[in-house]
Amino acid sequence: MNGAQHILKAFQQHGITTVFGYPGGCIMPLYDALVGDVSVEHVLCRHEQGCALAADGYARASGNLGVCIATSGPGATNLITGVANAFQDSVPLLVITGQVPAALIGTDAFQETDVLGMTLGIVKHSYLVDDADSLPGILIEAIALAQSGRPGPVWIDIPKDILLTQVNPQAADQQEREGCESAEPRTDSATHNGAIDKDINELMRLLRAARKPLLYSGGGITLASAEDSFREFAEQSALPGVVTLKGIGNPGRHNPNHLGMLGMHGCRAANRAVDECDLLLVFGARLDDRATGKPETFAPNAKIIHIDADSAEFHKIKAAVLTISADLNDVLRTLTLGVKAQPLNIEAWQKQCRTWLTTGGFQAADNEEALAPITGPAFVRQLSRIAGDDTIISCDVGQHQMWVAQHYQFNHPRQHLTSGGLGTMGFGLPAAIGAQFAKPGTAVINVAGDGSFMMNAQELATIRRYRLPLKIIILDNQCLGMVRQQQELFYDNRESHINLDDNPDFVAMARAFNIPALHINRTDQVRRGIETILAYKGPMLLHVAIAREENVWPTVRPGGSNRDMMENTKPAKKKTEENAA
Amino acid sequence: MSQAITSSITTSGTTISNRHVLHCRMQSEPAGLERLCRVVRVRGFRIAGMSVECSGEHFEIALTLEGSRPISMLQSQLLKLHTVAEVVLGAQQARSVA
Ligand SMILES: Cc1ncc(C[n+]2csc(CCOP(=O)(O)OP(=O)(O)O)c2C)c(N)n1
Ligand SMILES: [Mg+2]
Repeated sequence: MNGAQHILKAFQQHGITTVFGYPGGCIMPLYDALVGDVSVEHVLCRHEQGCALAADGYARASGNLGVCIATSGPGATNLITGVANAFQDSVPLLVITGQVPAALIGTDAFQETDVLGMTLGIVKHSYLVDDADSLPGILIEAIALAQSGRPGPVWIDIPKDILLTQVNPQAADQQEREGCESAEPRTDSATHNGAIDKDINELMRLLRAARKPLLYSGGGITLASAEDSFREFAEQSALPGVVTLKGIGNPGRHNPNHLGMLGMHGCRAANRAVDECDLLLVFGARLDDRATGKPETFAPNAKIIHIDADSAEFHKIKAAVLTISADLNDVLRTLTLGVKAQPLNIEAWQKQCRTWLTTGGFQAADNEEALAPITGPAFVRQLSRIAGDDTIISCDVGQHQMWVAQHYQFNHPRQHLTSGGLGTMGFGLPAAIGAQFAKPGTAVINVAGDGSFMMNAQELATIRRYRLPLKIIILDNQCLGMVRQQQELFYDNRESHINLDDNPDFVAMARAFNIPALHINRTDQVRRGIETILAYKGPMLLHVAIAREENVWPTVRPGGSNRDMMENTKPAKKKTEENAA
Repeated sequence: MSQAITSSITTSGTTISNRHVLHCRMQSEPAGLERLCRVVRVRGFRIAGMSVECSGEHFEIALTLEGSRPISMLQSQLLKLHTVAEVVLGAQQARSVA
């Protein structure tokens, strides 16, 4: 077996059934090995960024490892945005690239780039394989590492000649027997030991002493597969709670003490509760700046307890009085037993939070007027009511992303695929493709912006080729809306290069890929439009013309404090017309 | 991302930079030193001195670093590198004003 065949063997041994890739010179031995292979489905995307983001979406929707493959040079550089995206959001990814033959490395050979060097900052770990006999062990380690502890991308760069070299079978057997000894345990301190019990007791003591304790949860809940135990704890404790962008869905739809998303585009109730709480219980979150606002004024009255798989996050942004690095499931289950045995006594605080929620939740008037133009928030609310309970929404980046975060009611965090840390325009479509491969029987909808859609529009061809039934909704405000909003609010309304009023005809574009499409622009068409695309058995695109000047409210000035939220104001008069390019 | 870190100590407009010595032991993989130095730079420290010895499968690295952020934050970031086995804070920190 040569190196390339060993890669396929590793896929098979680790239950990897779907990979996203694009061929080229130095990775050709692997593509040759794929000929006639039936154990893995190789999905050909139309751009390597599409491959990486599809692998990311696959991993997010399924909880399994995402795999992407590309050739050296431009193939590898095209992957980079997608891999950085996965890194920022702790998504487990295995990235395999071909490299020029070992003897040519360092000669500025055709399609040689220093992949290892240029990706150091966006991987959990990486390898440049220099010996075919080490490949089986590297594959085992990489697959384990990507998924262990705090997950992330692991990149293996393999010179072409090594892909073709016969691997010594004894060496391979031995490495496979030894397994992944060097891979990390599932968390920093995987064993539920005495030290953690002591910490949990202390946590319980602080929780009982608090008068205004608040639950704060992020993407770490899903990464630890702790959704059920989190929900159980949230319900049994009846703690008021807030979520980060990536924590949306953690408490489910029906928790009466859930206040919503906090942060820059969070709701007033959530930010208010953080401002006033005296104990903040942070589960699986890193207190990122879009969530906290100005750190000095974040949770100013609170003792912080931080529970996360990655202990390097402790005290990074805010000092904590207690930190626990452990399996979140263990901690949550123990806490649930505690609050069941003796409920918390926080009625006044719960009542206060619910009062805030009645006036400080996400406000968006549903449009009543049939002929009125469609607004983003009203559309998303309607979509949320019509789409099925387990529908997966894959967003792009911009205003439409925030409207989904604010107004769509998610039942589970894995239903909401969003580029949180990197904020990658063009994420939504390839991620939806990945999600549809992970969940063939589930409805998957890409909610795109008109700007974002154009960043990976080539993947329409992938949807067509694999006959994926996913739906695309473009919320078209004929501009880079989020940038326009910031120019309006913070740059004295000087619009600069955000105008997209010469967008292509998106309906015709979809049809060119043999994907049927519909256009709507009036409120009375919204329900029919949504119902029509959802009922269609194949892929379909809905082009929604929405109001250009709509903003995401509330908002916080970048670098400002969350308590200084800005509410809806009338749009200022436009100062400068942008030069049409 | 790094802007959000608020721990630099400022007195009358001067940032006080501390000097630290860190001893690291890591697997002697080809990209090892680059990985290490990258984390040091990105997490807000300057390398004022560095010595490396390769002993068998390991690099023994002594770093003299300057920076105003808490050194413990760098230690925990370095420990996240898969090939770093140990990070020990060495000799007493001397203070210098940058
Ligand atoms: C790849 C990339 N380039 C630039 C940006 C900066 N950016 C953030 S939102 C945005 C506008 C997005 O426009 P659109 O997709 O139409 O969404 P809208 O805000 O109009 O809903 C831009 C340019 C980004 N996040 N990603
Ligand atoms: Mg737009």
